[in-house]
Amino acid sequence: MSSAPPRVLVAGFPDGVASFLARQLRGATVETAADAGAACAELARGEWSLLLLDGEIPGGGADGVLRAGAPAPPTFLCLPRGGGAPRADLQALGVTRTFFHPLDRQALVREAAAVLGTPSASRPAAEPGAHPAAEGKADALADAVRQAWERFRGPVTARVDAIEAAAIALLEGGLDEETRRHAEREAHKLAGSVGTFGFAQGSRLAREVETLLQGSAPLGQAEALRLSDAAVALRRELARPPSPSTAPPPRARPAAERPEGEPAAPPRPLPLLLVVDADAELAERIAMEASGRGMRARVAVDVAGARVAVAEERPAAVLLDLALDREDTGTLALLADLSSHAPRVPVLVLTARSSFADRVEVARMGGVGFLQKPVAPATVVDAVEGVLQRGRQGRASVLAVDDDPLILHAVETLLTPAGVEVHTLGDPLRFWEALEEACPDAVLLDIDMPRVSGIELCRVMRNDTRWSATPVIFLTARTEAETVQRVFAEGADDYVAKPFVGPELVTRVTNRLERVQLHRALADSDPLTGVANRRRSDELMAQLVHLAVRNRQPFSLALLDLDHFKQVNDRHGHAVGDEVLRRVARLLERAFRAEDVVARWGGEEFVVGMYGMDKDDGVQRMADLLEQVRAEPFDLPGAEPLRVTFSAGIAQFPVDGADLQALYRVADATLYQAKEAGRDRVLPAGWTAERPDAAEQVDVLVVEDDHALARLLLHALETRGYGARWMEDGREAADALTGSRPRLRARVVLLDVDLPGMDGHAVLRALARDRVLERTNVIVLTVRAHEAEVVQALEEGAFDHVSKPFSVPILLQRIRRAMKM
Amino acid sequence: MSRRILIVDDEDDIREVAQMSLEMVAGWEVIAAGSGEEGLRLAARHRPDAILLDVMMPGMDGPATALRLRADPETAGIPVILLTAKVQPADRRRFEGLAVAGVLAKPFDPMELANQVSSTLGWPG
Repeated sequence: MSSAPPRVLVAGFPDGVASFLARQLRGATVETAADAGAACAELARGEWSLLLLDGEIPGGGADGVLRAGAPAPPTFLCLPRGGGAPRADLQALGVTRTFFHPLDRQALVREAAAVLGTPSASRPAAEPGAHPAAEGKADALADAVRQAWERFRGPVTARVDAIEAAAIALLEGGLDEETRRHAEREAHKLAGSVGTFGFAQGSRLAREVETLLQGSAPLGQAEALRLSDAAVALRRELARPPSPSTAPPPRARPAAERPEGEPAAPPRPLPLLLVVDADAELAERIAMEASGRGMRARVAVDVAGARVAVAEERPAAVLLDLALDREDTGTLALLADLSSHAPRVPVLVLTARSSFADRVEVARMGGVGFLQKPVAPATVVDAVEGVLQRGRQGRASVLAVDDDPLILHAVETLLTPAGVEVHTLGDPLRFWEALEEACPDAVLLDIDMPRVSGIELCRVMRNDTRWSATPVIFLTARTEAETVQRVFAEGADDYVAKPFVGPELVTRVTNRLERVQLHRALADSDPLTGVANRRRSDELMAQLVHLAVRNRQPFSLALLDLDHFKQVNDRHGHAVGDEVLRRVARLLERAFRAEDVVARWGGEEFVVGMYGMDKDDGVQRMADLLEQVRAEPFDLPGAEPLRVTFSAGIAQFPVDGADLQALYRVADATLYQAKEAGRDRVLPAGWTAERPDAAEQVDVLVVEDDHALARLLLHALETRGYGARWMEDGREAADALTGSRPRLRARVVLLDVDLPGMDGHAVLRALARDRVLERTNVIVLTVRAHEAEVVQALEEGAFDHVSKPFSVPILLQRIRRAMKM
Repeated sequence: MSRRILIVDDEDDIREVAQMSLEMVAGWEVIAAGSGEEGLRLAARHRPDAILLDVMMPGMDGPATALRLRADPETAGIPVILLTAKVQPADRRRFEGLAVAGVLAKPFDPMELANQVSSTLGWPG
């Protein structure tokens, strides 16, 4: 067998045939030729292992190719069926096999693999012990989609250029019709495609851009910044690994003692939302919004259709229009059915009426939410997300401790189907660690264990404020009165006698958990947004700080406050204000990981505890979120979309404060600084504004004569709390930075090479002469790939270079690096 | 049951993912075309069981292609499903006149596309 990979030329077929072969023939290179001329040229140029030729190839037909005289590889010819008498001359022309349209692809792959001597990926049926069909297919498809994304990432991401170009043209006041339509088309294509590759959020951003550019209403500076924000957010989104769902990945809890090799849970399908509404157009718009946010959506326009849909696949949530029929009997019956059969399906009711009686009836039938029409699709989907979120958080967990693995196995087998997450531990000496890792909602303890008894474990829990309220249920073979009395005296909540029978254990544990959850839901979450309240966040953060100390990890605390929120309430009413708070809470929950804490402290103030993050990382993450919030205005029915920003301060444990109280104070002071500095930004503790002493000190000096670009950069830098200055003239910059008493000191200079007057090279040389480069890193901005120019700049002492056009996130990353050196 | 589907979309990435998705999930034979014109040609030649047609394409767009398919007795009986990234009220009226079998939203979930096609056409899953 030759060492070079076999090469296959596919001539005259639609592209799909070539990509199909490329996937099915492992290790072969597949190339295409559209017409006879191209096919001849390819054949003459290289060594081919196989030619697949369409009999009706444009530009002269197959004969021309076959007779071209090049040394022909083995050739498969594909002819129209019933196209006349068989031809005797084909073999002499090198045709080894004849196929007929429509092409039997499986046969083609088999024959081609035989000729090439390569394995074919075709038909897993041939591989004994392959995956169970459905899962294997899904995995293989997910892999294939990922690979396709690797190939298309470049060209797809390049579509963002058109949006950026429109933003820049708009900033410069010259967005012409052609640029605008081009950007709109590219945004439309992005909206329709990137969600398929696992970027639901990307599709949503692109759709907003498309909507903004549609029509011919004149656009201004505000729209320019929105476009540019959206472009930045899109680039960032497309740079991350695709996820099949926008739901946060389930937190990988380190199970205390899970049997080795236990199979991971299969990936969950996207949640299905059923929209039942006689207004097909509204239903469709809601469905699209939902599918842009990581849900699957299905629409039914009447009760009968809804029942069929529910029977086929039980949805994760249902949106139900109450005005479906005049009497409403069918609708209410459907509502009652959905809420009464386990597993219960949460139902949100949409209605144009708002009489009190309706609400009461809906609540009685088990509806979990009430939305008043007219309502924007985004608001509806926000509410659905909220309901699904509640469902996810509702999953309770227990830690079971017993030295008998059979008992642990039984507990797990019985409780898991009841919806309880079970962590098991066989070694009571590791109890404390397991408790902190699992953070269970209840603990099951065996009484008699070697070395440490369950009663002792219960006592230590009760003596620690973090665990003193967690329910403890004893599993015991001893049911004599004395023992029972003793476990209650030590603070147990209940006990179950061993050997236990299934229903009893399940009932006792779930009763306990329900009470815990009810209590917690009332006491621990902010009623408006559903995130943790202040009391609960204090508890959770104390746990995180404790873990951070033990595992030598950083921990940062961010306080954030919405800008000008009072005006939102005053102008649009409290209902809109509440909606904004809920949406921000949702974005925060989505942006931060499960091991972080997100809480609302009342008013418009939120706090986020970030485990394993220093404050610089925290600033980046929070600024990313700020850009996202900015890029996604809130749709208001019948009004201009509402743009929201926030300010935030971030403090790090223990450098900025040795305990939570101190951290809060520092973060709060930093937040105040952010507000003072002009709002709409995220600052780290210890940030200092530019000092008004002799030499002005800035983080970044931008020397750039392109006003639009400079404005974009300053906006992005200020969002991250960098002190930035802008000069458009090279000589002015060189004069300010050099001399015995320079007027300006900068940590990083972004230097455009093409400047009027004194160009970038001359500025660099002036800075080098004056030894400014010893304390300042210069990043040179060059026009795409002038290699000689780059080399020259680096020789002149530049720290780094970035070529235009560049993406803002990449430039920011380079600035951060230059800042650290 | 083995089906043959023609997918018509000018975007290479989407066409390829749709093709993989239908081949791998449903095991259907998929023919792909990059333009309305090519779609007409392949539809006449291969007689697919259904056609997935992107709405927004340069040159002959989805609705225009659907009309031509409808006008040709050879292809008039093949059910057509439109794929679109946006349903405007005006488009909806335009689609109604085309007598298409259904409209599917982009972006689609590759795991679900075959199911959506089957259920739109009433094919047994």
